[in-house]
Amino acid sequence: MGTASDRLRRARPLLGTFVEIAVAHAAQDVMEAAVEDAFDAIARVHRRMSFHDPASDVSRLNNHAADGAVTVDPWTFQVLEAAVELHRRTAGAFDVGVAPVLQKMGLLPGPKSARPPGPLAATVDDPIELLPGSRVRFRERCVAIDLGGIAKGFAVDRALDVLREHRLLHGLVNAGGDLAVFGSEPESVFIRHPLDPHYLIGHVQVANEALATSGDCLDLFEPPSVACRAIIDPRTQEPPRAIAGVSVRAPNCLMADVLTKVVMIQGEDSAVLLDHYHASAFVVSTSGEIRLTPGWVGGEYLAA
Amino acid sequence: MTSWIRLAAPAALVSTIVPPAYAVQYLSIAQAQKQAFPSATSFAQVDARSWKAQSGGTVLGLFVVDHVIGKHLYIDYSVALDPAGRIKRVDILQYRESYGGEVRDASWLAQFVGKSGASAMKVDQDIRNISGATLSSHHVTEGVKRILAAYGNRVR
Repeated sequence: MGTASDRLRRARPLLGTFVEIAVAHAAQDVMEAAVEDAFDAIARVHRRMSFHDPASDVSRLNNHAADGAVTVDPWTFQVLEAAVELHRRTAGAFDVGVAPVLQKMGLLPGPKSARPPGPLAATVDDPIELLPGSRVRFRERCVAIDLGGIAKGFAVDRALDVLREHRLLHGLVNAGGDLAVFGSEPESVFIRHPLDPHYLIGHVQVANEALATSGDCLDLFEPPSVACRAIIDPRTQEPPRAIAGVSVRAPNCLMADVLTKVVMIQGEDSAVLLDHYHASAFVVSTSGEIRLTPGWVGGEYLAA
Repeated sequence: MTSWIRLAAPAALVSTIVPPAYAVQYLSIAQAQKQAFPSATSFAQVDARSWKAQSGGTVLGLFVVDHVIGKHLYIDYSVALDPAGRIKRVDILQYRESYGGEVRDASWLAQFVGKSGASAMKVDQDIRNISGATLSSHHVTEGVKRILAAYGNRVR
């Protein structure tokens, strides 16, 4: 453990949540510069992939990609490549094209331009076409994407890259509960109880890996009854019922972020996919029961 | 095929103990001012919560502190505006979650079963990282908009 002066912890409101970056074991000015650059990387993801910003890549795609190819930031393209691959591997359980359903449910603001009447979701299997030169085209007019289930994890990974490029020995990036850690020092992470965010249900040591958690959205300003369900099963267009919350540990945060949604929807059937991505999961059912995959080690849990 | 491990059902929520407050002090006002305007030689207070950043006779921008308070949440944050009244940066100065019936002793940690070092932890210092349902920063974003409306044309 270092002294207080060789540690730095900063937070900014980005990606719709509070992003925290913590570093250690370097000179103060080195750490300040690294953290500043890491926040810049997060801000770039925020600018390009926000559903709400009309100038973002996501808005430009939703408004124009059905009419012809739209050139996007290489980072947006990378996220879409991963999203398309994960959509295929999860048999549709992970779907960035779920935006029209979220809009209909009032979880996302409605489309700016009037949509022609048609199916709510894409009718073809691969509605997003990825073209050379970071260009993207939608094969159907009804397609609208929301990268909310993947961009946060990607942003954490990019920020961690920046800290590594600055040759720091230890770093943590936590974007509202989706976090990743590198360096020799493990970070102690508590998991919020998905049935009541004022309680903690588990604790785990995280080192050189990522951890993400999904469940109801959380607004500590409002009573819990106002909280909404932010995860929708694209196939039933309804929120999953049996699982209250999922935490996933994976080699990178993009994967951890996405896999929490997949486990939420697929439940125990997701075990093979978790194995494939060298990931492990901690699941809390709506009745408060905890289930883990064997790979989830080094943790402590609240139990009777 | 991987089989899932089922743990004993956790205690009912009513019998679990609320964790102690989660609080982080990121930056003091003076530190945040210096970070936002590294070349400033002075910060002249304008009103109870704003300062003009200056270098010699030149105005570099305006630094404003504000807070948002909810039932369980208290956040201090700062907004730095450039001379044109645009947002230069937003920093969280202090973040605090509190639940009234705070537990000061470490006994609640004893509830956790498993193998890691948590039992030896010091309650107030060691809850540094929490993973859970995403916490919305909407209220801070709204606060930043209010600051922009109130101070955006008052920088110079």
